[in-house]
Amino acid sequence: MNDPDRFPRKQADAAGRVTVRPMLPRTFAAMLRDTWREFLDAKVLYLLLLAIALLFGAALTGRIEPQPGGRQYLDIAARAMAADLDGIDIATQTMGDVAGRLNGSMYAITAAEPIAADLPEGHWKATLTRTFIPLVGVPESGEEITDRFGKIADGQLWTITEIRETGTEWARKIGSQTWEMAVAPGRDLRLLWPHRFTLFGDSIELAGTKGAPLGLEVLILQKLLATGLGGTILLLVSVAVTAAFVPNMVRKGTLELLLVRPIPRWQLLVFKYVGALLLVAGLLGILVLAVWLITGILANVWSPGVLLALPSLLVFFALLLSVSVLTGVITRSVISAMLVTVAYWAILFIAGQMNNVAVESRIREANVGKMRPTSIAESIRGRQPQRVEPLKAGRKPFYQTTIGRITEGVYAFLPHTEDLDNLVDRQLMRDFAVAGPFRALMESASFSWEKGLGLTLLHTVAYLGIACTIFSRRDP
Amino acid sequence: MVVSVKQLEKHYGVNRALGGVSLDVEPATLFGLLGQNGAGKTTLIKILLGLVAPTAGEASLLGQPVGTFSARREVGYLPEDHRLPEYHTSTSLLDLYGALQGIPRRERRRRAAELLDLLGLAGREKLRIRGYSKGMKQRLGLAQALLHGPRVLFLDEPTDGVDPVGRKEIRDLLLEERRRGVTVFINSHLLGEVEQLCDRVAILRKGKLMVTGTVADLTRQKASWLVAFDREVPTSFHFPGASIAAVEGGSRLRVSLDPADGQGPAPAADGSEGIDRFVAAASAAGLRLRHLERERATLEDLYLAIADGGGTP
Repeated sequence: MNDPDRFPRKQADAAGRVTVRPMLPRTFAAMLRDTWREFLDAKVLYLLLLAIALLFGAALTGRIEPQPGGRQYLDIAARAMAADLDGIDIATQTMGDVAGRLNGSMYAITAAEPIAADLPEGHWKATLTRTFIPLVGVPESGEEITDRFGKIADGQLWTITEIRETGTEWARKIGSQTWEMAVAPGRDLRLLWPHRFTLFGDSIELAGTKGAPLGLEVLILQKLLATGLGGTILLLVSVAVTAAFVPNMVRKGTLELLLVRPIPRWQLLVFKYVGALLLVAGLLGILVLAVWLITGILANVWSPGVLLALPSLLVFFALLLSVSVLTGVITRSVISAMLVTVAYWAILFIAGQMNNVAVESRIREANVGKMRPTSIAESIRGRQPQRVEPLKAGRKPFYQTTIGRITEGVYAFLPHTEDLDNLVDRQLMRDFAVAGPFRALMESASFSWEKGLGLTLLHTVAYLGIACTIFSRRDP
Repeated sequence: MVVSVKQLEKHYGVNRALGGVSLDVEPATLFGLLGQNGAGKTTLIKILLGLVAPTAGEASLLGQPVGTFSARREVGYLPEDHRLPEYHTSTSLLDLYGALQGIPRRERRRRAAELLDLLGLAGREKLRIRGYSKGMKQRLGLAQALLHGPRVLFLDEPTDGVDPVGRKEIRDLLLEERRRGVTVFINSHLLGEVEQLCDRVAILRKGKLMVTGTVADLTRQKASWLVAFDREVPTSFHFPGASIAAVEGGSRLRVSLDPADGQGPAPAADGSEGIDRFVAAASAAGLRLRHLERERATLEDLYLAIADGGGTP
């Protein structure tokens, strides 16, 4: 107890000690380790990793198998030859948009049978007929057909391996050509091909007995596990765990031990925030990577679009965490921090959904009386164009109602996190060539991920700034 | 001066926590800060640590304004009712605080190991603080205050919850710190301990500094004595200049002597000649002395007198 050599540093004092200056990286590293310990102490990490492992296990019992149904994709390929669709986004652009690219010919598959198996891996024998106006159009060669058949926009559905013109010279003269051909599947055919999706052997059927396009299945699976249910559960758990961080830190008796150190107060708060953010980034990274691997292994589709879910979810969580930190600093209560954050999330979600309704009502109102835009993808799948009917007399479109106005007014001041989610959805839809009005809405000018990102970061920084100001000025 | 405080005031709304406190503390002093709950002790310490800004007045620590980073580097603090984060172990907590204090990794590891050993916490490095007893938490709290070798220590109830042997060890540790030139502030309600340990004390009441001085001065001897004889003192016994009262259930007498009674030889330096004459007179009256003790003013007497609302007794 009284050993005088126990305090060598004090002895160095007398000899003129060099002052040790706290350095930013050292402080940051220390706060990061502190956050990591606190996080581990919540024991949630192990549960989350277990849950992700279970998900992985369950998903790997799944089987995705191609179903019969190749003929329709031959028809789509033939019909698409009526226009030059090179570089066109078939999901959003309408036949009207490409009117100038129509070549005046009609193409159809008049007969088709699988050579080996009726599967995307299988090869087909088919008869292609071209009808054109004599004198205006000129006959096409087999090479020209080979060059164009199966290509839609950037995709390659089929490739022709053998082709032979069989029509008579007489038919050719009146504007009709016929080819016998053998086709092989192109690289993008699998995504459109119907697949059965079963889990746990054959016990759970997920995509109906006839199956659904593989791209759609992968998209739904990725969306459900990454940004949908999986991401939501992970973020909820993260909100619950991190809600305790700041109230624990600012507790009487704990706070003084931190504030007495020779570092600015804001660093304590900001480093705790960044530490928590990095931890959750790690968790989200594990989840998103797991989803990418699961769908890759199951469906052998390795499109990286789903990895966009990581920054999208992380930016959203950064916002939630700043709300949690601000509430924690003000109330010093874990329960309050948690409830306010979840309530804020709910408000954002409801406001985002209601704003979608308002945007849709605006688009609809602007198109009353016109033909509803039908994308090329829809057209070549045979969807009939429809006219947009006016609303019943006396009914206002949603955006003109009081609630609609309030919705749009309130939404203008909220961070547009909905757009960050839309960014991921849009990428997934592009990856998997999924078309339809939902994607058209997503691609519309009303959604801007740049604005969503900017507003979200702005709100995040503002909440954190207010929290730091209060934290720095308040007496402990 | 290690601490210099002039006319320091702190108001919380209408509530006045400190109302014009002035205080100077010299280096290598064990300084006891006494007062009831709410007297302003903790507020004073928090101002000196730079945790709370004063409403008015000046305060400096080691010649610098309070709250500067260079002042904070020289200060160790053990707050009252401290709550060390329970998810840490002793080593990880000291590592955190050491890093925030600016100590390089190698150095803080070495210091942490030393202090844990010194404070009897060695061998428990893997145990989370959640599993600590009150006394262990208190020792660890002291370790974090000493970690960076501060020149000033502010300790709020440093022996709270510690067993008697541990208290002795902590007292020895603080004396050792003082010997090295460290100034130690102690807030405590354990008056006996403060009296035993501290060189100087200050007593605060309702934000005002009531008394400050050395322990020796404040607990000086009184002009009264406790006396016991082999039998009851007869009512006929009188001694001029003395008032006699029965205390401790009649078994003893408190004899208060008027120092200016003017009788007999020149007074002795400690003023004890009066009692000699009193004992001689009693002996002449046939009473045989069994007990004689000079009364002292304890810190407790002083403290209670001030707490009752009086000034210096």
